[in-house]
Amino acid sequence: MFRELIGGCLILMGVLVMVVAVAGTYRFKYVLNRMHAAALGDTLGLLLVLSGLMVLSGLTALSAKLLAIIVFMWLASPVMSHLIARAEVLTHAHIADECEVIRHDDRL
Amino acid sequence: MKKNTWKAFTAWVNGTAEESRPLRREAGQSAHEKHPLFHLNEEMRVRLFRWEYRAVALIVCLTVVAVLLFTVFHLPLFGEPNNPAVNEVVERYVEKGLEETGAVNMVSGMILDYRAFDTFGESSVLFLAVTSVMMLLLRDEKNISAEEDIQEAHERIIEKEASDRILQKVVSLVMPCIFLFGIYVVLNGHISPGGGFSGGAIMGAGLILYGSAFGTDKVREIFTMKTFRRITSSALLCYAASKAYSFYTGANGLPTGIPLGTPGAIFSSGLILVLDICVGMVVACTMYGFYVLFARGEI
Amino acid sequence: MTIAFELLLILALILCAVSALTSRRLLVAVVIYMAYSLIMTVIWALLQSPDLAITEAAVGAGVTGILFLTTLKKIHALKGTKDE
Repeated sequence: MFRELIGGCLILMGVLVMVVAVAGTYRFKYVLNRMHAAALGDTLGLLLVLSGLMVLSGLTALSAKLLAIIVFMWLASPVMSHLIARAEVLTHAHIADECEVIRHDDRL
Repeated sequence: MKKNTWKAFTAWVNGTAEESRPLRREAGQSAHEKHPLFHLNEEMRVRLFRWEYRAVALIVCLTVVAVLLFTVFHLPLFGEPNNPAVNEVVERYVEKGLEETGAVNMVSGMILDYRAFDTFGESSVLFLAVTSVMMLLLRDEKNISAEEDIQEAHERIIEKEASDRILQKVVSLVMPCIFLFGIYVVLNGHISPGGGFSGGAIMGAGLILYGSAFGTDKVREIFTMKTFRRITSSALLCYAASKAYSFYTGANGLPTGIPLGTPGAIFSSGLILVLDICVGMVVACTMYGFYVLFARGEI
Repeated sequence: MTIAFELLLILALILCAVSALTSRRLLVAVVIYMAYSLIMTVIWALLQSPDLAITEAAVGAGVTGILFLTTLKKIHALKGTKDE
């Protein structure tokens, strides 16, 4: 009973974070801002939902698989965001109009 | 008339038909001039063509949809017990599949035992596809100019300069896991969902990831044109040979001399494991081959 | 509940198919096509054919998308490439 409550709460929080992420993706106008909002759902929302499912399923092989999904997504999603941001910064001709740019050397 | 057409055709094939071509073009032009729409200005004609194109596309699309819907409505109802087509085959597969093929995963048992010839065709189609892409896109001395060569070297420098440290670190962490998962899916194809095609696609995607992170030159240390040729052809030959053996011994559930083993064990279900590995090899090589031919023009 | 979820998925599938056809920019069409493949994966999993789901996820959403993007880059149809 107690376990179901905790699991349900975690999943609900995760879904809430996902909703915020989707709303942010539509609300913002510029690529980097939108990516910032979308990454929220990919990391925190996914973590909350899957840990809720892990609490619900207990110590089984299923939770190990869910843990593997979390680890994979936490590795993959930030790298993906980083690559998209890098492509945007490299190809946008007037990036300084959109945000503050600090260049340490020529290549980013 | 028939002979004339044939003559024109042979002349066209042999490339000796140039003399008649201008004549025909002139004739076509005059016919075109007689067309009432010829004197409209260019823009109007383009607009008319677009309109006609849309109308014809819509008509063709609607006809195809109507024919398909008509056919679907005349099919027997889904899941009806008295349907003629589904009775025997499905019963045989469901009841005797495990016993005859030894595969716990029924789909694998079907596509790699009952219908292995079909799967052989699919693998050959993939091989043929990558061969045709090679014919079109492979770069060698004949189809490359010095200008393109310079551009290529330029692009290579850009790729090397733009390589990303974060991506490389994460890829070197994730890549072994992806490959292990792909090999697991291939080898476990007769026990759990998956099989040669899906596992091969996963491995190919892993190779593509590695190639896009470290550059395709790095992949060439382990995967060259020679390995590509050897792996694909030997896998296809192995598939053909094992299936030929199975057909030679009768194929239809007759004893082949290969033990089926206990269902659920990794070494079970006869030839399915071998065939899975062959298909996985072909698919992985093909996927990576496609990517690298599209991106670079050489393996 | 399951039927509602399936209906939602099918609606999203049709929406994805139509918008992939009608989108003006090729890059957008490719991304929508990949989303289509992901939805199709969930549908295959719901229809209890995990084999097809794995293949669809690996081929449809992964490799085909990469091939499309590579081709777009090769023919200089992406934004920010040399020709634009």
